[in-house]
Amino acid sequence: MKNLKKYLLVSVVLSALISCSKDDKDPVANNVTLHFNNTFKSNTIVLGNAASTTATTNTSAEGQVHHFSELKYVISNIRLIKADGTEIPYNINDLDKGATVVNQAKSETLDYTLSNIPSGEYKQIKFGLGVKQELNTLDQVKFPTFYANAGANETEMMWEWGAGYRFTKLEGFYDSDNKEMSIHTGSTIEGEEGAYTQGVDAYRDITLNLTGNAVVGRNAPKITIKADFDKLLSGKTNTIKLTTGTGMNDNATPNIHTAVQMTKFVDNLGGDGSSDITGMFSIDGVEN
Amino acid sequence: MKKVFAILSILFLLQACNRDDIVQPVSYNNPELSLNIPPGFPALNNSVNANKPTKYGVELGEKFFQEKRFSANSTISCASCHNKSNAFTDNNAQALGIYGRVGLRNTPPIQNMAFMKFYNWDGKILQLEKQPLVPIITHEEMNSSILEIIGKISDDREYRDLFRKTFGDENITADRIYQTIAQYLYTLISAGSKYDKIKRNEGDTFTESEARGYEVFREKCESCHSTALFTDQSFRNVGFPLNPNSNEAGRARVTGIDADYMSFRVPSLRNIEYTAPYGSFGQFPTLRSVLDYFDNGVLDAGNLDPVLKNNNRRIPLTGQEKEDLISFMKTLSDSVFVGK
Repeated sequence: MKNLKKYLLVSVVLSALISCSKDDKDPVANNVTLHFNNTFKSNTIVLGNAASTTATTNTSAEGQVHHFSELKYVISNIRLIKADGTEIPYNINDLDKGATVVNQAKSETLDYTLSNIPSGEYKQIKFGLGVKQELNTLDQVKFPTFYANAGANETEMMWEWGAGYRFTKLEGFYDSDNKEMSIHTGSTIEGEEGAYTQGVDAYRDITLNLTGNAVVGRNAPKITIKADFDKLLSGKTNTIKLTTGTGMNDNATPNIHTAVQMTKFVDNLGGDGSSDITGMFSIDGVEN
Repeated sequence: MKKVFAILSILFLLQACNRDDIVQPVSYNNPELSLNIPPGFPALNNSVNANKPTKYGVELGEKFFQEKRFSANSTISCASCHNKSNAFTDNNAQALGIYGRVGLRNTPPIQNMAFMKFYNWDGKILQLEKQPLVPIITHEEMNSSILEIIGKISDDREYRDLFRKTFGDENITADRIYQTIAQYLYTLISAGSKYDKIKRNEGDTFTESEARGYEVFREKCESCHSTALFTDQSFRNVGFPLNPNSNEAGRARVTGIDADYMSFRVPSLRNIEYTAPYGSFGQFPTLRSVLDYFDNGVLDAGNLDPVLKNNNRRIPLTGQEKEDLISFMKTLSDSVFVGK
């Protein structure tokens, strides 16, 4: 019994020593916080209804004044790239642990914390605007948390008829008479990657070089990602004029839920996937 | 100490053996059903071969089809809109779901699904197993979720029995629900109409009016309503009055192709007598009103189907031809299929 006590004491002391020594070294991993700053050019967006006097307004290249009452988008498939080029995927096949809905109306959704990121220096971030095809199935059994979050009444990020998630949902008003604008994007693609049989792929992969390396270790860096919604109508790929009506080219509300007009908005927001891989996104700064 | 260890490990091994015995599947007998494929029908959709109807799978699927607990407030089943006596439609212009909410489109009939390549008016769904989830979660239809449904039925003895008979165990899973519903729908084959009997030389003959109608059909309708399914399964803009709902764009909603704007799948004419009203959102109350519309001239559109575009946007029909066509279309009614 005495012996046992001794052993116990020794092991307690030892473990205390070990944990002390750990404290001295850099931790093997730490958090990285992504902060999303949703703007019109350099102004952070304030939402507002049709009559709002406080909402942030923007003027498009076509001269159309507009503002938003709702602004949401899905971020998933997040990967951090180390200075040496190693790619660290963050739960890229688990929507519950690796995807989030950024909702301008809920400030807590503007920060997304990536936990347990291996220590090291990171130079680049990649992520998806939307959900990649193989995960975009509204699978409540596999990803109950993300399903519940996206499907919640105040979120409405499901596209029931397409049996997939909405990737962006923008509601607002345009022109001096505050006509309604309602722009939703999502994929309608069918089949396997490389052998799609029909539909439009609205998922966009974004690559952003960090303005300075994010150093994960003792510190938990914060990367601020700017999403400049000025690009929605005045993008790198398309300059869009909103029109209201029921014709094939009317794009402000009718038909905008359809794939024909949608692709132009998708390319502006998330890039065209080839010459433009940043879309509306850029890095505002990295705090170590 | 060593002895104890030896005994323990033997015990452990024995236990492992026992466990293996328990895991062995319970034998169950769930024979495959052979689909009675009518002569002249097109090839089966590939999905059928991957999910062949079985005796109990079909029974379970039919029970699900009638299950009102699929809707959030347990009032709406698949069969609420897909009513067998109307060739699995509901006679409403647009489908009515939970709390009387009005859907975007006219309820499509369910028949000969095993032979279709596309499902829905816009062809969004290519595999029937992927269809059930859509009405389950849609706000205007059942407004529920698959886990909510599984929660509601998981203690139901009848379902547990049927799952065991179908799959050998009582695990109620989402995929099994989708598969068995599809299995049931695959068995809904309609080829027992007067037209079919005439084609099979089973003694029936067309009346004079039906025979004249058949001639008009072959001349003016068959280029789209072709094959034994009476649809070529193409998507066409035929210039019907447009659905004012901003969510409607027809096939273009899926494909993103301008040329598909307000194009819809050519509907089958089988059992058409039972499926009024007609059109993607029930624009036409009767078959006569559809024919009158084609006769008077349809709406123009950039992508209007060439058949109409090249004929002054019309399918000219005399009053007599319309009557005869309707007589002919009624020979496509399968009274056994709809249980009348």
